[in-house]
Amino acid sequence: MTNPNKPVKAARYGMAIDIDRCTGCGACMVACAVENNVPPAHAGANDRKGITWIRVYKVDNGGDGDGRRSAFVPVLCQQCGNETPCVHVCPQQAVDVDPATGIVGQMPERCLGCRYCMAACPYHARYFNWWDPAWPAGMEKTFNPDVAPRMRGVVEKCNFCHGRWHAARQQATAEGKPDTEPVAYLPACAEACPTQAISFGDLNDEAGVTAAAARGRDSFRLLEKLDTDPKIHYISKREWVRRIADAPRPGDGKESRRG
Amino acid sequence: MTTTRRNLFKLTGGAAVGAMLTPAPWRLITDSALWSENWPGIPRPRRGEVTFQFGNCSLCPAGCAVRARCVANQPVSLAGVAAHPLSHGALCAFGIAGHHLPYHPGRLKSGPAAEANQAVRAALGQLRGAERCAVLDLRPGRTASWTYRRAMAAIRNGVYLAPAAPIAINLAAAKTVFSLGAPLFDGWGTPGNVIAARDHFRLIQAEPVESRTAIMADLWLPIRPGSEEALALGIANLLLKEKKIAGLPAGFADRLREFPPTMAAMHSGIGEQQIAALARELQDNGPVLVLGENGSPYAAALNLILGAPGRTLVLRREAPVPDDWKKAAPVADLASVPDGSIRVLLIDESATGEALPWSAIQSKLAEKAVVVTFAWSKEGYGRQAAFTLPTAVYPESLDDIPPAVDSPAAAFRLSAAWVAPPDGVVNPADFVAGLAGLAAKDALQERAAAIRKSGRGSLFVPSSATSTPARDVKPDDFWKMLQAGATWIDDLDANAPAPKLDVPALPAGTASSAFPLVVVVTEPDTPALVSPLLSKVYQESNLRLAPESVALHPSDARACGLETGSRARLETDCGSVAVNVTVDSDVPPGVVQVAGGPGIRKICGASSRARVVRS
Amino acid sequence: MRIPGYIPFAVGALTALAAGWAAFPHAIYQSRRQPVDFSHKVHTTTAGQKCDDCHAFRADGTFAGIPTLDKCAGCHAAPMGTTAAEKNFIDQYVTPNREPQWLAYARQPENVYFSHITHVKLGGMKCETCHGSEGDTDSLRPYQQDRISGYSRDIWGRPAAHSAFRTEGGMKMDDCVDCHRSHGLTHSCLDCHK
Repeated sequence: MTNPNKPVKAARYGMAIDIDRCTGCGACMVACAVENNVPPAHAGANDRKGITWIRVYKVDNGGDGDGRRSAFVPVLCQQCGNETPCVHVCPQQAVDVDPATGIVGQMPERCLGCRYCMAACPYHARYFNWWDPAWPAGMEKTFNPDVAPRMRGVVEKCNFCHGRWHAARQQATAEGKPDTEPVAYLPACAEACPTQAISFGDLNDEAGVTAAAARGRDSFRLLEKLDTDPKIHYISKREWVRRIADAPRPGDGKESRRG
Repeated sequence: MTTTRRNLFKLTGGAAVGAMLTPAPWRLITDSALWSENWPGIPRPRRGEVTFQFGNCSLCPAGCAVRARCVANQPVSLAGVAAHPLSHGALCAFGIAGHHLPYHPGRLKSGPAAEANQAVRAALGQLRGAERCAVLDLRPGRTASWTYRRAMAAIRNGVYLAPAAPIAINLAAAKTVFSLGAPLFDGWGTPGNVIAARDHFRLIQAEPVESRTAIMADLWLPIRPGSEEALALGIANLLLKEKKIAGLPAGFADRLREFPPTMAAMHSGIGEQQIAALARELQDNGPVLVLGENGSPYAAALNLILGAPGRTLVLRREAPVPDDWKKAAPVADLASVPDGSIRVLLIDESATGEALPWSAIQSKLAEKAVVVTFAWSKEGYGRQAAFTLPTAVYPESLDDIPPAVDSPAAAFRLSAAWVAPPDGVVNPADFVAGLAGLAAKDALQERAAAIRKSGRGSLFVPSSATSTPARDVKPDDFWKMLQAGATWIDDLDANAPAPKLDVPALPAGTASSAFPLVVVVTEPDTPALVSPLLSKVYQESNLRLAPESVALHPSDARACGLETGSRARLETDCGSVAVNVTVDSDVPPGVVQVAGGPGIRKICGASSRARVVRS
Repeated sequence: MRIPGYIPFAVGALTALAAGWAAFPHAIYQSRRQPVDFSHKVHTTTAGQKCDDCHAFRADGTFAGIPTLDKCAGCHAAPMGTTAAEKNFIDQYVTPNREPQWLAYARQPENVYFSHITHVKLGGMKCETCHGSEGDTDSLRPYQQDRISGYSRDIWGRPAAHSAFRTEGGMKMDDCVDCHRSHGLTHSCLDCHK
């Protein structure tokens, strides 16, 4: 994509999601569906058969009455960096990890719908088109031309709004900026969040806000023990939230075991 | 060579082998695969030039600023405007997909406009005695509202009815906010403003259910359902301690005596010590703001006792209007109209606001009353009105949005008409103005001119993210910029007196075995139509309760013979509505959790009592 | 004379081979004519225009592609020459303000993302490298469309004689991948797909 004489600095796009700021409003879920031409639910869809590239779960501390506390956790494709499970199992090579951005890219046009990747994903972040996508008459006028709609029978998932990444790079080129630096852009969910709980940026950029938040003491990742090296970091000051993610603090003495 | 079957097979075999050695079969296979990916059932995005246009969202009174990304002038996605002084870049889940509304399958595109006009004029001609013609405006304060008031002044026995507007709140001035179940983080005020002010106040949420606001609060008091009165009066007792405060309604002192702190603790389930600590905190950590359900007398009383008027409750001037508009009908309350006296009722529910129950309206209607409602769908008053006339929906209409409850200064901003409405829609203000012979087509422009003429306030322009004093903007530009999404914000009146806080009379005792469940509203008031993509949060996940749905604790559901997916009726003393039932063990027993759709909110509010019966 | 037994087999095989290699490539494509008989040559020589006078980049880097009617009507509101084709164009499209439905030879499927500005500005590529000598032609060549998949011939389908005659350029995925590989550019699926 660039002049081979000028090496490109590889980016590792990731997120830092502040659970203590998430109000569970669902704006991110709707904004994601708007940006990526995800169809509205079919009549038979429910929470297991719907398509929600980002999904906000409600979790609680298991307490009763007075002692009960809840929180909201937005879960999207964690963009696993180490031995990405879905990439490993796909018989069609319909998903790959981009070395320049770290994004795990799903190609629905190559997918044959075996759903092996859905079984492999430990975060349940992949969704299958059980039905032909259908929109009310006229609503197709509101499609985003930067993302192709999918057909029935293929798996789809969050691609970190790569359509916006393309547009940002194109704009940078138009402005005469060199192509060697990773571009800054915002996926739809991060842009939509009213409390700005979702921070998106290049984790390789040490000075950036996202990378700094990801390095913080209150930051953790989901299912750390699986060693998938996800790029989504979650932040919470509440211990019980960390416990739900099975994420002991570093140096706590609780070794994370591969399993 | 004879044509034998064998030769035929040899020929065919040869052809098959030959064909395999040509590109044909392989090409046919790949082409079929490509054809299957491109069949006409899947629509394609349009191509075109990408532009950004600005406007303001009119789905609720917050009126958040919107930046629309448009492809060939068709909005394809919406986002907030980050530097905006009122909305701070926030847009809620409903606003983010607002551009889908013109294509909603439930949206009306045509209606009996001519017949409605005829019926109304005929009825107006037959008005006798004290019979009235009334306009019921569910979102007062708009320029259209002034058109209605002017029209009703011009029509004989014309009356303009609107729900009472709440007193403006200055959230930034609050150091402690005590909320009796008000949904501060879920459909209250302007979301961006609440979030921006959050770090400056301590939030105490008293609510039986752990709502989104309770989760975000600094302290959640899990009070028993229906015990807001007990808690509020218990605290009032501690605050007043024999003091007398002017402005409290008759009978307040008697009610106070019923709820000393011990009784308050017993009813609410909150310990006496904690109630005492709470009272001390409210006394010492002012300025305090107490919030409750709209019109809650308890919140109003506590605000009065704690001195909120003038500090967190402020008097807000209205945006200027042209002088000749001031000869308009006054704003009247539905309750002030005599029963059975309204012969013609015109309801504008095209802009959502507070809902009034049909039962309250019905008693005011005369025999042979003609009711016309202006709406996006038939689901609101369309169920009862004789005529439902369709109006333009949010992205199709240029209309002004009155300031939200948490805006201490007046604001004038317009929703932009990005999409052309269908031919059959009616403009309610034009319809009503036509009945009175009033020319009101340019009302918005006239209002803008009056605002500019006053020289007050500043104009925030979203495209450059800058604010300019309004008097530095040329009058022609002022109107153009408003149409392009700019927001006019009034100056804060430093010398404004404290607003007069009317504490409504306390309701009579409510426990009734006929309605055993306490209503808790856990979803924001949604407009009549929401984008089909809201299925992401309603159906494809369990994040939100869908409109016209209720959630019950398993024991209550069992008692009513209901399970998840049952159809039932939610009944209150104001009416009943069909609902879907969800059984959820997170709901406390004795509570029915309801979503805020148009049907449900017309029959109940928070802490109403209800029952759910199987359909 | 006894005809040998392999003759029917050979006849079948030869017929199929001929059909598959000679007739099939013609049959699978449907030839369609462009809505207007447009001459690039007239516009580049007589009118003195360059490629990017009509096929330009916008400020945000997107490519305007085939110009819309307002670009053409800017000059052709009234006839500028004497050809029947121009008169036809004005009568059928300019006057009734109807967009011509051009058939873009290089229009990629919906799932493909291609950035012109990246290739032109960063890659320093000329239009002719991929589009050939389209700009010199006196009339637009017919648009050949695959009857089953609906794709343009330019973007899909293996040419009969494969890499031996491959030059730089061409619009098929293989052409893009070959060029990227030969320049040592990284490629991941999402670079070109959306």
